Amino acid sequence: MQSPVYYALVNPNLSILMNMCFIFQRITIPEIMKDEWFKKNYKPPVFYEKEDADLDDVQALFKDSEEYRVTEKKEEQQPTAMNAFELISMSRGLKLDNLFDVEQGFKRETRFTSKCPANEIISKIVKAAKPLGFDIHKKNYKMRLENVKAGRKGNLNVATEIFQVAPSLHMVEVRKAKGDTLEFHMFCKNLSSSLEDVVWKTEEDMQETK
Amino acid sequence: MGCLQSKHRRKVRAWEDPFVLASQTAFSVSEVEALFELFKSISSSVVDDGLIHKEEFQLALFQNRKEESLFASRIFDLFDAKHRGSIDFGDFVRSLNVFHPNIPQEDKIEFSFKLYDLDSTGFIERQEVRRMVVALLRESGMILDDESIERILDKTFSEVDVNRDGKIDKLEWQEFVSKNPSLLKIMTLPYLRDITATFPSFVFNSELEEIVT
Repeated sequence: MQSPVYYALVNPNLSILMNMCFIFQRITIPEIMKDEWFKKNYKPPVFYEKEDADLDDVQALFKDSEEYRVTEKKEEQQPTAMNAFELISMSRGLKLDNLFDVEQGFKRETRFTSKCPANEIISKIVKAAKPLGFDIHKKNYKMRLENVKAGRKGNLNVATEIFQVAPSLHMVEVRKAKGDTLEFHMFCKNLSSSLEDVVWKTEEDMQETK
Repeated sequence: MGCLQSKHRRKVRAWEDPFVLASQTAFSVSEVEALFELFKSISSSVVDDGLIHKEEFQLALFQNRKEESLFASRIFDLFDAKHRGSIDFGDFVRSLNVFHPNIPQEDKIEFSFKLYDLDSTGFIERQEVRRMVVALLRESGMILDDESIERILDKTFSEVDVNRDGKIDKLEWQEFVSKNPSLLKIMTLPYLRDITATFPSFVFNSELEEIVT
């Protein structure tokens, strides 16, 4: 078989790599990344993410997570009950970020309601997230789930928070803090199937009750 | 037909001039131009008339033009500063300005007060808060009995309504928000800091310059 014309103009190392890509077999991305030609002057991408405004206060929360491990007994019995305005500000009608949503179709956050006690919700989320390869950081009723493996845009980082609407009614917010939105969407799907017995109403249900 | 332009040229009114809007807001001229890209896509989604109508706003917010929300309607009414039933580009930029990360807290506090003062009496009355709580519960598919709702209102009012007159005035609201800063989360859109990256306006640039000159 005759080599394509362009091979004559190109660096011989590159042409070997290209042969592997196109002629011999399907080379995989990780294999390409190991190739000498590729590695020359290669700078791994840094993913710049627009992060939520309150990421700072969540980070601050986990800065002293070391202390948390020692003072476990001081943990609150229940998440603080939301006041009327905290409840109101959860409305989708007030989330103007959605006006800017270029990644249409995949939400960056979701929520569901549950009639289970908060501690039970937490342990069920932990049980569901660990086998999916997530590291868990917990502080009171806020959690950070970080995927140990890097995805398309770095390690997927998910923040969850439990709010008390009434003593027997909780709202759980699951929000993408960092990473690829599609991967977040898949994570939510996996999570919701493992949490079937905890979830009372999902966001889809909420839409349908209109 | 001769040499008629096939592209529809929007007339730029003086109060919508990007240079004027940039001078009145925290946005730069290129950011205003980027906002125009966003405005164009929202305002042409149902009726292409250079104005955002309620259904177009609902479509942009909920991906469903028929979905109604007490809160979205309230935002829409506040954005519609001239009370004409639609939002023009000037309204759009000046209203979004309040949500800019660099805008002072006082402006955001004032906007949020107006937002929740549903009937614009200058006070946030208990029945208005009840109405909003009920709307939120219905929107989320949650059902709470009246007693539980009253308990939430009691707890809230005991904290915010310092003079115990059954309604929240501007001062009480200011105090309350400074003690509960998370309530202002909805008043800041981090996206606005990066708007030119999300909506590149290199195409728009030439279009607007031709119209203005």
